[in-house]
Amino acid sequence: MADDRKKLFQKHLEIKFTKEHGTNKMEGGKITDMRIKYHRLGVDQNPRKLEMKKAGQEIAKKRGLVGYNPMMHCGGIPLGQRALTPSFISGTDMMVEIDDLHYVNNAAMQQMWDDIRRTCIVGMDMAHETLEKRLGIEVTPETINHYLETLNHALPGGAVVQEHMVETHPALVDDCYVKIFTGDDELADEIDDQFLIDINKEFPEDQAEQLKAAIGKTTWQAAHIPTIVTRTTDGGQTSRWIAMQVGMSYISAYGMCAGEAAVADLSFAAKHAAVVNMGDMLPARRARAPNEPGGITFGNMADIVQTSRVDPDDPAHVTLEVVGAGCMLYDQIWLGSYMSGGVGFTQYATAAYTNNILDDNLYYDVDYINDKYDGAANKGTDNKVKPSLEVVKDIATESTLYGLENYEKYPVALEDHFGGSQRATVLSAAAGSATSLATGNANAGLSAWYLCMYLHKEGHGRLGFFGYDLQDQCGATNTFSYQGDEGLPHELRGPNYPNYAMNVGHQGGYAAIAAAAHAGRGDAFALNPLIKICFADDLLPFDFTAPRKEFGRGALREFEPAGERSLIIPAK
Amino acid sequence: MAYEPQFYPGATSVAENRRKHMSGDVEKLREISDDDLTTVLGHRAPGTDYPSTHPPLAEMGEPECSIREIVEPTPGAKAGDRIRYVQFVDSMYNAPATPYFRSYNASINFRGVDPGTLSGRQVVEARERDMEELAKFQIETEMTCPALSSLRGATVHGHSLRLQEDGVMFDMLERTVLENGYIVAVKDQVGRPIDKKVNMGKPMSEEEAAKRTTIYRVDNVPYRSDSEVIEWVHRVFEQRTKYGFQPL
Repeated sequence: MADDRKKLFQKHLEIKFTKEHGTNKMEGGKITDMRIKYHRLGVDQNPRKLEMKKAGQEIAKKRGLVGYNPMMHCGGIPLGQRALTPSFISGTDMMVEIDDLHYVNNAAMQQMWDDIRRTCIVGMDMAHETLEKRLGIEVTPETINHYLETLNHALPGGAVVQEHMVETHPALVDDCYVKIFTGDDELADEIDDQFLIDINKEFPEDQAEQLKAAIGKTTWQAAHIPTIVTRTTDGGQTSRWIAMQVGMSYISAYGMCAGEAAVADLSFAAKHAAVVNMGDMLPARRARAPNEPGGITFGNMADIVQTSRVDPDDPAHVTLEVVGAGCMLYDQIWLGSYMSGGVGFTQYATAAYTNNILDDNLYYDVDYINDKYDGAANKGTDNKVKPSLEVVKDIATESTLYGLENYEKYPVALEDHFGGSQRATVLSAAAGSATSLATGNANAGLSAWYLCMYLHKEGHGRLGFFGYDLQDQCGATNTFSYQGDEGLPHELRGPNYPNYAMNVGHQGGYAAIAAAAHAGRGDAFALNPLIKICFADDLLPFDFTAPRKEFGRGALREFEPAGERSLIIPAK
Repeated sequence: MAYEPQFYPGATSVAENRRKHMSGDVEKLREISDDDLTTVLGHRAPGTDYPSTHPPLAEMGEPECSIREIVEPTPGAKAGDRIRYVQFVDSMYNAPATPYFRSYNASINFRGVDPGTLSGRQVVEARERDMEELAKFQIETEMTCPALSSLRGATVHGHSLRLQEDGVMFDMLERTVLENGYIVAVKDQVGRPIDKKVNMGKPMSEEEAAKRTTIYRVDNVPYRSDSEVIEWVHRVFEQRTKYGFQPL
């Protein structure tokens, strides 16, 4: 296929590398130049670094103890010996400082994770059956509405049946609420709009039908505990907090005794029997509760991201948004902080969602697939190409060669992804996602991921680093194995899958492969319809339809997070 | 018929250079003295004895062991040298070596070495005098261009960055500089200034680097053009995949 298309990264790399930012003296030149003058200007060339340097000096003066001092780098040779340049958030024109994509510096990133960790889905049907059959209490749409009004008072921390009780201040927990959703249209019609996630309204018609068919006439609560609570405790707290307030609200709303044996039945049915966490509990050696990032399967991550319902006809876009969300949560927060304690993973993970380099590769692949396989990368089920090793080899090879050649033709692209593992992730995410799109099969996409790694390593004589390459050298052998502890359907794999537990830089791409298979088919969800519906909710502070844009808003300091403590601290 | 290792597939100059690196059949282009090598490595002062971590093996009274009887210790192991490292960085702009081919060269041609392969650097750890033997070999031969390759223990970025205006690979710590047509080391591997400058040799011309390189590049020898290499990668991939799916 002729490589005469306009590169999606061209405009942004030209701005990034041939225009001056701050005082970095980068004006001029071309993005194809292989040589450049290095001005070695240090941190003072960059506005954000200057702000940080000044803050460090002020902190040292105030507390009488030194802190941030960029001259501590390399014994007095500060960062910025090459130009410090901003980046563009892929799929947008938002230009941001790269420091502002560290999750500590980005409120939107924090909120994305908060919104996932503070969420559980709790079934209502067993509780209703217990009320009706065990206690003879009638459950009607009116009683459900009343219960939901009660729970929206109690879930943030309001008392419902106690006489003398401490409560949380509503202004500190205003992001906490519960809504419900159901596959029963008749019931949905009777539920007060404020409490309903309306499947028919939030999803395109065909997706709504798929979702309602998948969940049947069941009814579920999408509950979100306060951000401030989840940040003080952990993901395991979410189901417990919800359970406690759910129990109290049933007792209050349905006028029950707070001690009779039947309430024990209700407690189990209402609080524990049908709880869906976003992430599974991890084994003791990693010692994490449910609803921590290491337990979130790639399929669940694909379902948490909501681009598929607002832009279903562009499955590549759906995929790329999952890449962004996955790289941020799995690499920057999970592996980068929880598991390693490092700070540098941001530099690493952002490669996949900045400057349109991955986007360019994937959209090239879409064109290649549609030309060669008769529109197989478009949304649909009848247009898919049957997965085979020949198809995997063809798509993965073309995708990888195209991506490698971009790094060779555009030295600034290579410099932007200056680490081999950045390039490896981007190339493999493109190859894997493209193969998923074409086949509708995530394990075929995963297979393409591994072939891409092999091809990349042989082409450039280098890949990532010891720990990075290891999994990619052996991964092909478990791609299609479904034997316990050796393999799984890709959607059910996750960060704690044996071969992936220390798979730095890979997991956003893996999540994208899961998303691509289903977005490519036009599926309403990848793994769990309940999770897909739960996050179809505009009231959440983080907009899950556009994670990358939200990260950009966070970097530009435009994002308004929840869980702030301004109310209870001295005014500044 | 005696077995002749083929080392690597491919019909291009890049593939041929890869075979040369792997076999160790590479051209010697320059010399570096033992003292100069010691200086740039920075592990000990030139002329001093090798620090040791244990007495010479001959004095230790080794336990009876069939493996020890089969395997002749390396000179460094015999003497009890400590383990030290040499770490190379090779530019993606046609530096002769790439990390994996430095590792293959080390593993195939040298004993007692522990190579580590990354994207931007390649480290070999070994008993100090054994490591120096390898370092000297790789520095003195066509595996290394002093402008496009360098010794960097830490702060290594440069392999993927655009070259400086003078054609030298960027180094944040400026361990080497181009002086009168030669690359001169002014700092050791980890960036500590050295007392005496060390001449690392003359840079390869662009044409020579393109001829000797082991990296495929679309502006030199495109990867696509070496179909045998791609076919071989496909074969490795297919066999690993099928074996995992059905190991019997």
